[in-house]
Amino acid sequence: MGMTRCTVTGNFAKVINGLNANQLTDQVIQRSKRMILDTLGVGLLGTSTEVCHKVAQYSKIYSSDLSSTIWGHSDFRLPPVYAAFVNGVAVHSMDFDDTWHPATHPSGAVLPAVIALSEAFPQKKKISGLDLLLAFNVGIEVQGRLLHFSREARNIPRRFHPPAVVGTMGSAAACAKLLALDQQECKNALAIAASYAGAPLANAATQIKPLHVGNAAKHGLEAACLALQGLQGNKQILDMESGMGAFYTDYNPQTLPILQSYPWLLDQQDVAIKRFPAHLATHWVADAASSVRRKLVQSSENLLPLDKIEKVILKVPEVRYVNRPSPASEHEARHSFQFVACSALLDGSMSVQSFASENIHRPALRELLCKTQLEHPPDNTPSFDSLYCEVSVTLQDGNTTSDRCTTFYGHWRKPLKKEDLEKKFQSNVHGILQTEAMEGIIETVYNLEKVEDCSVLSTLLSGQSARALPKKLRFF
Amino acid sequence: MFPGLTAVLVPSRCPGAAVAARSAPEDTVTSSFASFIRAARPEHLSPTVRQRSKRMILDSIGVGLVGSTTRVFDIALRYCRELYSSVAVSSVYGKPGVKLSPTLAAFTNGVATHSMDFDDTWHPATHPSGAVLPALLAASQMVPPNTKPNGLDFLLAFNVGLEVQGRLMHFSTEAHDIPKRFHPPSVVGTLGSAAATAKLLSLSSAQCCHALGIAASLAGAPMANAATQAKPLHVGNATRLGLEAALLAGRGMEANPLILDDIPGCSGFSAFYSVYQPKPLSAPGEHHEFLLEKQDIAFKRFPAHLGMHWVVDAALSVRNLFINYAGSFSPSLIRSIMLKIPVSKYINRPFPSSEHQARHSFQFNACAALLDGEVGLGSFSESSIQRQELRELLDKVVVEHPEDNVANFDKMYGEVALLLHSGDILTGKCDTFYGHWRNPLSKESLLKKFRSNASHVLPEEKIEAIITLVDNLENLSDSSQLACSL
Repeated sequence: MGMTRCTVTGNFAKVINGLNANQLTDQVIQRSKRMILDTLGVGLLGTSTEVCHKVAQYSKIYSSDLSSTIWGHSDFRLPPVYAAFVNGVAVHSMDFDDTWHPATHPSGAVLPAVIALSEAFPQKKKISGLDLLLAFNVGIEVQGRLLHFSREARNIPRRFHPPAVVGTMGSAAACAKLLALDQQECKNALAIAASYAGAPLANAATQIKPLHVGNAAKHGLEAACLALQGLQGNKQILDMESGMGAFYTDYNPQTLPILQSYPWLLDQQDVAIKRFPAHLATHWVADAASSVRRKLVQSSENLLPLDKIEKVILKVPEVRYVNRPSPASEHEARHSFQFVACSALLDGSMSVQSFASENIHRPALRELLCKTQLEHPPDNTPSFDSLYCEVSVTLQDGNTTSDRCTTFYGHWRKPLKKEDLEKKFQSNVHGILQTEAMEGIIETVYNLEKVEDCSVLSTLLSGQSARALPKKLRFF
Repeated sequence: MFPGLTAVLVPSRCPGAAVAARSAPEDTVTSSFASFIRAARPEHLSPTVRQRSKRMILDSIGVGLVGSTTRVFDIALRYCRELYSSVAVSSVYGKPGVKLSPTLAAFTNGVATHSMDFDDTWHPATHPSGAVLPALLAASQMVPPNTKPNGLDFLLAFNVGLEVQGRLMHFSTEAHDIPKRFHPPSVVGTLGSAAATAKLLSLSSAQCCHALGIAASLAGAPMANAATQAKPLHVGNATRLGLEAALLAGRGMEANPLILDDIPGCSGFSAFYSVYQPKPLSAPGEHHEFLLEKQDIAFKRFPAHLGMHWVVDAALSVRNLFINYAGSFSPSLIRSIMLKIPVSKYINRPFPSSEHQARHSFQFNACAALLDGEVGLGSFSESSIQRQELRELLDKVVVEHPEDNVANFDKMYGEVALLLHSGDILTGKCDTFYGHWRNPLSKESLLKKFRSNASHVLPEEKIEAIITLVDNLENLSDSSQLACSL
């Protein structure tokens, strides 16, 4: 039974299996390393969250001989699937991780899985940094390609949370790559993963949302492992409406380009990296609000005329799950146009601290929230590629100050500079890892394709003693 | 004995209280489900419901035991054992020396249960028991010795799991027909497992609510993997992930408290359906009627998709006519075989090439029944599937989809007509096969099925012990005995 029929599924399997490191372009390498660094930082910071504590406690039910690192922890390890789960949850715990177009959070679903897997290879086989980088990119690419199968996917989602759909598939593809599965096994990994995919959007803005990414990483890895054991699924899982098509109302699968000079999506379309931990759509609002605040302060003796504010109007796209006039929890606050606008107006900029409980509930903020309204101009489409946000503040005297943001700093049209990416990483990791480990990770990721044994990355992530490091940091 | 485990199971009271303060008002569909799960008592189980659910438990165990001899089970078990070891407290069907961690035991046993498509089917369509029982068995062994639920608690939790599944399926007219998009056990089964486990672990109302919400984010597998080796994972994952959801909820994890309600612009559980009308569950007062009271289950007589059972009974009937007519079953006299079946792509397979496909093929099952006079475990072996005589019969099959043959387990029928070279036509038709809820298996038939299944892996004493335990389930003081007996 050969691979004679040209199915999309078979084609994906062929490409996952056939892509090799020579095909990674410089731009793809550079962009994906930035994504890896950012994801690690965001994940390390995320290990301090409540949701992450809970899943770590839960996952400790399981232990085994085969184990992988929990980022930021040298005190315990977990089986690879649960390490992927916990670290994936950490990455998305604060909604601080990268976002792509079409919309998903690509790295969090893939990186924790491939790192966990790299530590748990049978016969302790060494995995190089280049292997890891390639597998990572395969996982990203598969997600992007799947997102192109449906027009629905181009807009901010309404039904299923994309990381739970394509993220699971990306994780399976990346792990299949790292495990060097053959074409049949790659097909099966994708088929099995499809049966784990999908989570409803209603759990966004709740404590469960991070688990969507954690589970994507975990289940993709599991799917690849089951495929390795010989488990078989539907060989046309990507082709059928009752396969991946189940998650979309319009579904048009296409085969991938040929392997020669492979055109990676990441080459054509970069990710957005967040500057503060909240839903991407709020980043436009934050930039516009900060700018309005600057203007207001300038014209009134360097003080924000808070009690003179009559109303605040936000012109935003219609995105139900980010429309929250009065958020009560950090998860809700991270998904609230209104909250971010008011926060930025009060403080001038957004940070991790903006979402601390005392800041969510401060009276000045609550007061401002009461004066805030949303408007949905028909030309403001709910797509991360084309949306804009306008903030208008009207004072009691009738004067209105406004600003519009079409592209926030960190968006793919205006990517973070290297220094700012590093600053974000350092700020996130501060207090969780020692400086040597922090700098070690930056250096390792920047030189990832030359790293002989990527277990050095895991060691650094665990926060183990810095003395162990210099010996292991060996490049080709 | 397992301090880590004890910590897992004690529901945290403080977070629960905080959640209650913020939880949804009482009139949401989601909270009505949570209240039901929390408030249901053994007294609410009617005699019919008790009896029916015990039959389901017995059949499910038997099917799981024979399922432990399959290749897909083998893969699942090897996977779980190689990647995980300690805190292994939960039993695995048919493997007396082996224990796994609770969720992985649930996973493995769930896979076993559905490995041969031999497990029960309900209306609206799903495989209810396999999604619930393994989770309860695993959980019962996980709970510390002094708080073991008794048999009645167990039976109640089982029924809560069924009830939730049934009620959820009534939210969508889509669910009444044989599925096309998502495989129902992976949708409602996951929530049923979460509900049942939440019940067994005595989670608070708010925690029950969150268990459902967490489970929703773990639900849903596409139909395309039916008729493949991966299908059994749907039930394995439903029961495992539902258990996980309840465990996470018990540790204070919170989800959307409106997960079952209709949320315009942002789908909750409605994501899995195109038409969705949620309805609240009334609190189980004295008059609560479990769905199982009115709507019984179908038990399969052979390991194949439920739809096959109609064509097999029809084929057996026409086979008898044919033997009377011709003296013996002589395939050479047959010009063509006409099957009248409902439209359902994933069970319409003219030439299945694997056991999984064969179990999902009207054509195959009809021909096997015609050729052999019966369909059983052995009909789906590799050698049986590849038989020349069978292939020859399959060549003669023609399929028709009469308009009145609806793709619905309550209304469909199967008709097999033999068009002979002589010009004569013999017909057999089946509206209700033996084992269907309208014509339930007798106690003897059910026991026969159980003994036959269990004998593949267990000695007679153990088999009889399980039968006795299930029969007297309500009187058991420690329900983990059931799991330990497998």
